[in-house]
Amino acid sequence: MTLARIRKWNGPTGILLALCALILLFSFINPRFASVENLQNVLFQISVPLIIVVGTTLVIQMGSIDLSVEGVMGAAGMAWILMSANTRTETDFGMWAWVIALGLGLGVGLIAGLIYSKLKVPSFVVSLGTWYVGLGIAVLLYGNSMLPTLTNDSLARWPTQLTLGLPHSFWLAGLVFIAGLIVSNHTHFGRGLMAIGNNEAIAIANGMPVDRYKMMAFSLAGLLAGLAGILATIQLGSGSPDIGSGQLFVVIPAAVIGGTSLSGGEGGVLRSALGVCLLIILNNGLVLSGVDPDYQSGVFGMILLIAVITVAWPHIDRLKVAK
Amino acid sequence: MSVAQTITEEQKGTQFGMINHFGRIASWHTIAPPVVFFAMLIIVSIFNPNYLGPLGISIATASAAPILLIALGQSMVLNVGSIDLSNAAISLFGAILLALSVPDFGWVSIIVVLALLTFLGAINGAILAYTQIPSFALTLGTLGILKTATLVISGSETIYVTNNRELITLLYLTKLGGISLTFWLGISVALILWAVLRLTMTGQDMTGIGKNEKGAILTGVPVKRVKIMAFALSGFAGGLAGFCIVAQAGSASASGLGSNLLLPGIAAALVGGTSISGGVTNPINVIFGALTVAFVPIAIQAIGFGAQAQSLVYGFFIILVVALSTIGSKTRIVK
Amino acid sequence: MTYQSTQFPVLKLTGITRSFGPVKALNNVSLSIQKGEVLGLIGENGAGKSTLLKILAGIEQPDSGTIEMNGAMTRFISPYDALRAGVGVVHQEQSLFTNLTVAENIAQQMVEKHGRARFGVQDWTHINQQAARVLQKIGVDLDPKAIVGDLSFVDRQMVEIARAVCVDPKQGGTPLIILDEPTAVLEQAETEVLEREIRKLREFSSVIFVSHRLDEVLRICDRVVVLRNGVLTSDRSTKGASKDDLFQAMVEDAPVKTTRVRRPKKSGEQPILSVKNMGKTGRFKNVSFDAYAGKITAIIGTNGSGRGALVRSLFGAEAFDSGTLEISGQSVTSWSISRAIRAGLAYVPAERKTEGMIGGYNGIRNIALSRSDQFKMGPLLNLRKMKQAAQHWFDRLGVSPNDIHKPLAAFSGGNQQKVVLAKWLNLPDLRILILDHPLRGLDVGVSHTVNAEIRRACDTGLSVIMIPDTIEEALELADEILVLRDGQLSARHDLSIGTGLSIQEIMAEMV
Repeated sequence: MTLARIRKWNGPTGILLALCALILLFSFINPRFASVENLQNVLFQISVPLIIVVGTTLVIQMGSIDLSVEGVMGAAGMAWILMSANTRTETDFGMWAWVIALGLGLGVGLIAGLIYSKLKVPSFVVSLGTWYVGLGIAVLLYGNSMLPTLTNDSLARWPTQLTLGLPHSFWLAGLVFIAGLIVSNHTHFGRGLMAIGNNEAIAIANGMPVDRYKMMAFSLAGLLAGLAGILATIQLGSGSPDIGSGQLFVVIPAAVIGGTSLSGGEGGVLRSALGVCLLIILNNGLVLSGVDPDYQSGVFGMILLIAVITVAWPHIDRLKVAK
Repeated sequence: MSVAQTITEEQKGTQFGMINHFGRIASWHTIAPPVVFFAMLIIVSIFNPNYLGPLGISIATASAAPILLIALGQSMVLNVGSIDLSNAAISLFGAILLALSVPDFGWVSIIVVLALLTFLGAINGAILAYTQIPSFALTLGTLGILKTATLVISGSETIYVTNNRELITLLYLTKLGGISLTFWLGISVALILWAVLRLTMTGQDMTGIGKNEKGAILTGVPVKRVKIMAFALSGFAGGLAGFCIVAQAGSASASGLGSNLLLPGIAAALVGGTSISGGVTNPINVIFGALTVAFVPIAIQAIGFGAQAQSLVYGFFIILVVALSTIGSKTRIVK
Repeated sequence: MTYQSTQFPVLKLTGITRSFGPVKALNNVSLSIQKGEVLGLIGENGAGKSTLLKILAGIEQPDSGTIEMNGAMTRFISPYDALRAGVGVVHQEQSLFTNLTVAENIAQQMVEKHGRARFGVQDWTHINQQAARVLQKIGVDLDPKAIVGDLSFVDRQMVEIARAVCVDPKQGGTPLIILDEPTAVLEQAETEVLEREIRKLREFSSVIFVSHRLDEVLRICDRVVVLRNGVLTSDRSTKGASKDDLFQAMVEDAPVKTTRVRRPKKSGEQPILSVKNMGKTGRFKNVSFDAYAGKITAIIGTNGSGRGALVRSLFGAEAFDSGTLEISGQSVTSWSISRAIRAGLAYVPAERKTEGMIGGYNGIRNIALSRSDQFKMGPLLNLRKMKQAAQHWFDRLGVSPNDIHKPLAAFSGGNQQKVVLAKWLNLPDLRILILDHPLRGLDVGVSHTVNAEIRRACDTGLSVIMIPDTIEEALELADEILVLRDGQLSARHDLSIGTGLSIQEIMAEMV
């Protein structure tokens, strides 16, 4: 039964406690941290990685990994802005820009899922490849001409505007989060992903359509990365192939720290989301505490190590294969 | 008896089926990387033979050198079934340390820095061996720590090698057959690692662990020690890569030359035929993998695509090469 | 123990035969099961039980013979056919998702039943209610929302049974629930839970109960059938049956011939390995024995008796919690695999493919992996010596095909085992050889070779500790037989004193 107890500690309650502790600590160090303005800023910063982590979690629950987020963000973001009202092109496809850009993200994810499930190429390799492919598409779209800046001012301001005290981008992320929660915990697909991560052989033997689920998971991850890319582009106000830069190393540690183990079958959307909150708040708090931003990655690294070692410690065994 | 067990019996059965083609598959795996590279050379020469001139080769190999060394280190870690996300960061850290210390301490600092980096790699391996946490998360953590360390000691500035410059840049400027010594260093390391893997007990142990860790443990292979060594080699190779970086630029900075070698290193190892699950590593093929990865921008320019198509081609290559080499094996469960 | 008779038996097998190559795993087996009947299926390892179960589960097909379920002639081409016909199997290895809830695992069977996946939102209420209904039907009190990973082993068994019971045969026929060694790793108290369970099951289904615990079989089952070498040797009611009756049917009690000369212990000889009151929580306790040079010690027991954990503890592959281990009179501290090997121990695991050998490596490398210094030439490997050694062993053991460069995965199981053995025999300071099911899955010819090799090793002064596949093996080879039952030594036999020990006697001590 100790395993169950440990699980609860690493479960949502454990992270929530850590989160509260951090918030208290940072508010103490710099009262500005707890100001409404700053908290809104934090929610704003959480939005993009939160959207990404929902998709990433689905893939990780299966026991796979998706490294392609940054590339897909770039591709979809660039595609979207070039098709929306911007300073470079005349065209404005309005809603269709969204559809096509999201479709691009979905498409890249689908292809990754296909290659992974049908050709049996390890997910690490496939998503590494689609990362480059996405980035390549983004760079090609960017081309050599001038920077495409958003001309639609109201749209550019939309993410930071508040409704009920919360920024719109957070509302969007929140919606995605809730949808992700429903899909992950309340659909056959979502539970199937957990089953595959726990024991793929049994899942296959039970007649579960494993390949289909795999493709769906990657497609969703691609779609959400695309959405994140669009949101990030709006937030920035202009298009850039590097719009996703650095997100991978926020999202994956967030999921792992949250308790979504990379070996699959554990954790979930809620936990990963809390992990994202933890890391962003940590980042924000460190900055406001006057800590040199250079130290950020170091702190993240230490926390990641401590979190993972704490979880793994009770399971150390002579014959265990640690990869 | 269980249905799931029956599935694995099938798996084992098809392993036999695969064996009929094993000879074929094994040899494809061995020749694929050079084939891919030479195919690319041929394509380039068709489009624009000028790129294959001495200058082109010199440039390509110079940029390939640090990638090669990092890929070699990575391939040693991949060989035991793990991954090292921090080796490029170790390399950059080393480059800055060198730039800082060589002016004052000369060649002594080179030895000390290399030893330190090897030690850092060993720490990675030790944490892995004793806490048994996944290497992905582990090296992601150490990567973050190293990033900070690099920024702090460089003060986010570019460090120029003011004194004893020749000591370092000699490696880059000296050319053998038109190719800079940095690349020859990479080739030497590849040859040595090839020998280590084939001709030493430790190398045999490493590959054995990658192929079947449980079997290796039960045969008495000192798994902990061997894993530490694999990561130490990765640190060492990273150190050599750092050396090449400073040699080429005459300086080191956290965002300058060599600050972005993680992905190309992994790509080069994969395109060089290294299996991501372990137990299949050929350092000689990694040479071709690194050359391919370094040559892609040149090939793209030769064919006439803009430099922007680079990433796209990278992506296709990685997937293509690995897909081709995994087509033979029919293992049903791939993560 | 009454059962209602309906016109048709739930299951009727006629003339089932299945061969694997020249070996007849099942030979003209016929039996029938009535509604509400609990049928025991017993037999030694290799008697054909698992083949019969695989046929009933739809994993294998018989070469000839017919299967009738509830009066209808059927063929099970796939596991789904068996499910649809109403056959629910609880396998020996648990096949549950430990990270999902009880209700979800039970619902898995539903997916199979429909044969297709269902997309869309999971109706938790429905699933939980459905699971609660099934659990109630079988009289088990478990929370459908509990996570399987948190449950005890016996509770998980209950979930497996609940899952199996979800089968729904066409036209209201009676389901058939097959329990494959359900008590193998259960404690006493847990077994009672299972027995209650089975009595509940007979209210609406029929049960096949496979076990080698004969007293359980006699207690729980209405009838019992015995398989021996693929042939049904007995089909009788359990009323008035004794264990001896069953033993008679399970094994031919011809004395086991052995050509092995057993030398009595030399007086004053020190044991090369001595185990004193060794225990490992949950696996075995209070085990003491001595192993001598040139002698073979066989450790017998059923699955779950703790033999595997015991020998692995000797080798340092698992840690033991209490007691001492002495090698040549020296007590060992902080035992590990590397120390064990340095002290002259070797271990051939039961799971050849995943633990015994490295399939991707060839014969040369596999044999050299045991780190003999003879293969080293300074820091380098002496490839020539490695090849010589490999070739020597390939020749001596008759490995076929005789190709030391071929990856070991390409060889048959028997030849792989030869190479695994060679790896250890090649070590010059080998003193104690631990063999875990060394002849498992090997055909007759290879068996002979390995058998001979074990004897030869012994004659040169090695001490052999083995877990045999069959009691015959032990009687043929061993100098001393230790019987483990539920983690403790239940008997010890010194065969050098030359009494006529019978298989049945030993079996009685195992169960």
